[in-house]
Amino acid sequence: MDTDDDFMSNVSSEEEDMMPDDSDNDLSGDDDFDFDDEPDPDIDMQQDFGQKKKAAYDITFKVYQPQDIQKQQDDLIKEVNMILDINKEEAAILLRHFRWNKERLIEDYMEKPSQVLEAAGLSESSAEAPRLKSIPGFVCDICCEDEEGLQSFALKCGHRYCVDCYRQYLAQKIVEEGEAARIQCPSDDCNLIIDARSLDLLVTQDLTDRYHKLLNRTYVEDRDSLKWCPAPDCQNVVECGIKKKDLTRIVPTVACLCSMRFCFGCPNEDHQPAPCDLVKKWLKKCADDSETANWISANTKECPKCNSTIEKNGGCNHMTCRKCKHEFCWMCMGLWSEHGTSWYNCNRFEEKSGTEARDAQAKSRVSLERYLHYYNRYANHEQSARLDKEMYLKTEKKMVQLQKESGMSWIEVQYLNSASQALQTCRRTLMWTYAFAFYLARNNLTEIFEDNQKDLEMAVESLSEMFEKPVQELADSKLKVDIMDKTSYCNKRRVILLDDTAQNLAEGRWTFNVEFTNPTPISNTKGSSSRR
Amino acid sequence: MSLCQNRLQEERKQWRKDHPFGFYARPQKNAQGVLDLKVWECGIPGKANTIWEGGLFKLVVTFPDEYPTKPPKCKFHPPLFHPNVYPSGTVCLSILNEEEAWKPAITIKQILLGVQDLLDDPNPESPAQAEAYNMFKKDRAEYERRIKRVVRENAAP
Repeated sequence: MDTDDDFMSNVSSEEEDMMPDDSDNDLSGDDDFDFDDEPDPDIDMQQDFGQKKKAAYDITFKVYQPQDIQKQQDDLIKEVNMILDINKEEAAILLRHFRWNKERLIEDYMEKPSQVLEAAGLSESSAEAPRLKSIPGFVCDICCEDEEGLQSFALKCGHRYCVDCYRQYLAQKIVEEGEAARIQCPSDDCNLIIDARSLDLLVTQDLTDRYHKLLNRTYVEDRDSLKWCPAPDCQNVVECGIKKKDLTRIVPTVACLCSMRFCFGCPNEDHQPAPCDLVKKWLKKCADDSETANWISANTKECPKCNSTIEKNGGCNHMTCRKCKHEFCWMCMGLWSEHGTSWYNCNRFEEKSGTEARDAQAKSRVSLERYLHYYNRYANHEQSARLDKEMYLKTEKKMVQLQKESGMSWIEVQYLNSASQALQTCRRTLMWTYAFAFYLARNNLTEIFEDNQKDLEMAVESLSEMFEKPVQELADSKLKVDIMDKTSYCNKRRVILLDDTAQNLAEGRWTFNVEFTNPTPISNTKGSSSRR
Repeated sequence: MSLCQNRLQEERKQWRKDHPFGFYARPQKNAQGVLDLKVWECGIPGKANTIWEGGLFKLVVTFPDEYPTKPPKCKFHPPLFHPNVYPSGTVCLSILNEEEAWKPAITIKQILLGVQDLLDDPNPESPAQAEAYNMFKKDRAEYERRIKRVVRENAAP
């Protein structure tokens, strides 16, 4: 992966205004976790589009690194710890219980402290902090050990077990089950949560490390405004105020510091300009075998008498159903006997007997062809996008070769890198324009859209052709200028296309040939599979 | 001795000292006639004043090596007609699920009492077999008649 600096240097100056502008992306810090009450940042953004010269598809977001995530939690915990006068471990448990909604926590706690503590799995008792003890005559209820001087541990609830059993229990929860925020006392029917300090007393460093990693994970997962960067080995988190209900009007693509571009609204990579819901529908359509049915209806006909499905794979139009021996004409579906002498050349097209069958046939064929039209183009660009990495590596090699052969300096061959980047991004956009177009109902807007799409596609294909030229030719300064021009032209066309689509989407001007599925809130609650 | 064996031995001691009326629970003998503490044969009586009254249902409880960190597996033998019992006879109950409500401190007595409670109080949220579930949902009278038949077939001695 390239570093942030590399990433920015790959971007030609023309492209800069389409890149997310980090300096403008400050979500105002720690105070506004309650996004529900806030004015919608992204709809507002539409209005000052003119002044800020931001593209319509730009959204506000911020990237956090692991230490920022830790600090956010620490700050919140510290704050609650000071306001409510409870220790930090307990403050952390309370915050997790309230999904880090500090305001609600403080409000509820002020109102009914004991209920809040109980619901969060904390004890009201002011007993001393739990520590390891050896109590004479103690028998562990888990292992039934009663050895003299056995070390034991209990939370404030007083359910005491030997240290070994406690450790094994915690290891099971943390390592096997990946649980951290809600590990309860091992006693049946006791809901007390084990806090970080008690855990430190009991387990080894590697378990504590994993425990804290898991806690960070729940922190990000608990907050709707945070999302992990999906790139492999990237530990960054992106914050974005986009809500489910905005997703019909905006395609929230964000870019991590690691250069990964992904969608904040759904689990996919960048899919501009198609909205999340259409992407989901499209992927489902491409994945499931509903097209098999389409194929059947496009390529087969039913016997007019017994309804057996027949595929005609050659031969003449005189069909004899294998099953019921009915004789009919494949062309008009009418009785063969009515054909008289004009055998093998059906001219009875106007005859009513087969009209309906033909109509249904034609319709399904058109819809299949329409799908295939968009799918083939989508798949073609997808394939090219999948070759991203290979292409990038090839470019690197080419650049080195070029430096050797033509004596150009490193900086002088960077145009190839920019070209490769542009090709990748534009292909990805093009791919999704086809999925988007599949769901568009025809009107004037679609024509503009298709023109934009055509322009971009032609530019990308011609850049791609130049890019594939052998190294000797690449050294030619005229070709270099051409490539640089084409690169910036591609990037510009892409911005124009995305901007136009995003603007129309935000203003609800597109007409789709499918209904948007109502966004369902993401919920982390697992369907309980057994009785409580 | 391993934690699992140790605990099971203690459970057996506790059970012999005191157990709820009508229940039985004993480790099985293996082929060589040696007691196998990890497989227990248990009997669960239907509760009084319910349609299950008078029945005694055989349950095989199998303890994994990781017991009591992980819960035992409970299987009715033969499989029982009940919405929360899988066709294999395995019982679907939250306290028997390590990802749910299982705690290492839960005793065999608690498990058996929990399964007894489940008999007359099925959980429609997590059906485990289609037949009993559908009948329970759609035709309660027929369901109760069927249970009474099951009870007659598994009558307590």
